[in-house]
Amino acid sequence: MIGVVMEQRTQIMARAAEGDAQAFALLIEPLLDQSYRLAAVMLADRSTAEDAVQEASIKAWRKLGQLRGDVGSLRSWFLSIVANECRMVRRQRWWSVVKVAEVSPIPAAGGRFDETSTDLKTALLRLSPEERLPLVLHFYLDLPLDEVARTLGVSPAAAKSRIYRTARKLRSDLTPEEVF
Amino acid sequence: MTREDFRRELGDAFDSISGPPSPALPDRVRSALVEAPERRGPVWIAALAAAVIAVMLVGVLLVTNPLNRPLGSGGTGTSTPSSSPNPTANPSPTASPVYNCTGSSAFIKQQAVPPLALIDAVRIGTHAGYDRLTIEFKAGQPGSIQVRPQTGTTFVTDPKGEQVKLAGQDGIMVVINGADSHTAYSGSTDIKTGFSGLLEVRKVADFEGAVGWAVGLSKPACFHADMLSNPTRLVIDIQTS
Repeated sequence: MIGVVMEQRTQIMARAAEGDAQAFALLIEPLLDQSYRLAAVMLADRSTAEDAVQEASIKAWRKLGQLRGDVGSLRSWFLSIVANECRMVRRQRWWSVVKVAEVSPIPAAGGRFDETSTDLKTALLRLSPEERLPLVLHFYLDLPLDEVARTLGVSPAAAKSRIYRTARKLRSDLTPEEVF
Repeated sequence: MTREDFRRELGDAFDSISGPPSPALPDRVRSALVEAPERRGPVWIAALAAAVIAVMLVGVLLVTNPLNRPLGSGGTGTSTPSSSPNPTANPSPTASPVYNCTGSSAFIKQQAVPPLALIDAVRIGTHAGYDRLTIEFKAGQPGSIQVRPQTGTTFVTDPKGEQVKLAGQDGIMVVINGADSHTAYSGSTDIKTGFSGLLEVRKVADFEGAVGWAVGLSKPACFHADMLSNPTRLVIDIQTS
């Protein structure tokens, strides 16, 4: 089944490479949810995150030749473009008032307010977007370390180190075993 | 805490920040892709056109040698030779500054792609009728500078996104692209002046080639900005009387 799906994606990639925008849209559609979540966490603004994903999609379409038909690298390649777009958005707007995502407490199961989660959210928002990026990729989008590394453009060892270092900023008593 | 606990807690926190995407996002992206200009041809044509324009601009710059002149001044982004009001009782490199009191931004932009400029000095001074902020560069000129007056003295730092409040009632944000303020600059990043107009100058951004210095003023900004040479420096004069 996986083989069939891969075969289809390869064919779709070939069509996209020939200039079929609909095929490219089909190719990245499964990645849009993850891309949006990455952008929303980096930018802390949901509306701007959707704009960034849209803009990144257009840029990815124009740069598709870089991928050389490698479907296996599509996700990390596309997410790295989304992350770059978020950096660009931040550079453009950094002097304006930073919009923080709507802070509406989410009741935990049973209706009680989850204080731990809120504390962690506050701590996450205190991190810089660059610090949040490896955490989002690994813990939220569930990317394996080698894919996190490819998205960040660093070695797997460096990616692991960044994840652990940033995780320790959230919980200083974390051991590597608790993180990986 | 187990690895699963930590992962679940983080996932919940990330969820509360991002929430789900709009259901319309896939359609929106598809429409944008279909409506986007064709991938190869126009991009190459645009790149070629940009290269031709760049060559022409460099030629014009070489012929007219505009870098010996001030690159711009408050409000309009153009040189504004005028005799009114001149705060330069002390020797000043600008002949006839005109203050921008309208609240609009000053924008100074290089015509050619510059190397990364290194800020190596930030100086303040008070003179008859005006206070002066000077930001000096070495190793080239910055790509562009924007001087943006604002109400209030709350600024946002980059990349942390924290709010900082400077002394005074109103402010100016100086945004310098194509520069850095950490390689060659070792001075104070928060200068409190004790002057009457210019009260505080603080670095609020220095990240990926974009530098921001925030300025706290005692009253709404009335300033002019010029880019001067030998040494390359941005000079902002804030009128005090």
